[in-house]
Amino acid sequence: MSTLKFAVVFLAILVCLYPFLVFESLASNEDVATLAINQAEDVVASAYEAVLAAEQAGANVSSLIVELNDAGELLAEAHAAYRLSDFDGAIVSANQCSAIGESVKNEADNLRVATHGSRVMGSWLTVAGSLVGVVLVVFGSFWGWRVFKRRYYREVLRVKPEVAQDES
Amino acid sequence: MSLEDYRTLFFAGSLVVVLIAAAPTLGLVVPFARSGEGFSELWLLGPNHMAEDYPFAIAVNEDYRVFLGVGNHMGCSEYYTVYVKFRNQTEPLPSMSDSEPSPLPPVYEFRFFVVDGEAWESLLTFELLDVSVEGDSAVVASIAMNGVACSVDSVSIWDAENDGFYYQLFFELWLYNRTSQDFEYHNRFVGIWLKLSAS
Repeated sequence: MSTLKFAVVFLAILVCLYPFLVFESLASNEDVATLAINQAEDVVASAYEAVLAAEQAGANVSSLIVELNDAGELLAEAHAAYRLSDFDGAIVSANQCSAIGESVKNEADNLRVATHGSRVMGSWLTVAGSLVGVVLVVFGSFWGWRVFKRRYYREVLRVKPEVAQDES
Repeated sequence: MSLEDYRTLFFAGSLVVVLIAAAPTLGLVVPFARSGEGFSELWLLGPNHMAEDYPFAIAVNEDYRVFLGVGNHMGCSEYYTVYVKFRNQTEPLPSMSDSEPSPLPPVYEFRFFVVDGEAWESLLTFELLDVSVEGDSAVVASIAMNGVACSVDSVSIWDAENDGFYYQLFFELWLYNRTSQDFEYHNRFVGIWLKLSAS
């Protein structure tokens, strides 16, 4: 009998607490969705910064931009779901967006490092090529000038002086 | 020509050739400034992908299509957001003079990235879902954007002069600012008027 009474009291307490438990669960779901969206926004922004750094290093970032656009679409979907109080949908979209953003960031970092290395090598080759070119031109000019000057004097010396007659 | 003249000519010629040889290295060191100021384009096209036949006289539960486009001429890849907003005749539009966006909440948004010199374009279908007309006022409770229902709860008063209830669907362009690490209104918007008849 006492067990039955205890069960009834426990059930009554559960029934009373049910709305609060449900509300708490909804509220926490909303918090999780907010967190997931904020995190996705941060990840996409840092992925964009990484892509921009790769672009400034001279890399072709077209394919990364296509991937970033997928992430942007998912982020917009997450916001739309959140506005409709579809917090589960918002969490799913935001998490997918974060995953794409992380992958793009890593790809962009690798691309930047690779591009930077080949760009530095290219710059050194350019500088070395220019330097060799300038040295060759300077020495060539000196040598050319000396040859020219020698020929010039030879021509001048070959010219015989003419004696002009004094008519007076 | 004297030897002095030849020497000057030789020296000038050598200098020109030296500059040509050093040009690739100079190109690495001397920054070439980009001419002109960066800007973005925002456009809206009708259902036939032309600047005509925009949806105007609309009915409930019917699909309407427009094409939204953004062109990037900012000098590097940019991160954009377009907020789609819905207003009646009295609610505020963005302020061009103060560069302030409309305070209305967005009903839909696009987030995308555009490489410098390229453009982004997307189709937007919209449909009035829940509309009630009572006397001289109409209430649009929700509108579907690309199949996503959005709550708007916008009330419009009958415009006797123009014979209809008028709403405006407009698109604000926002640009990600890398310094503040947030989106800022880019002072550009486009929109279309929508006329809802009483029947």
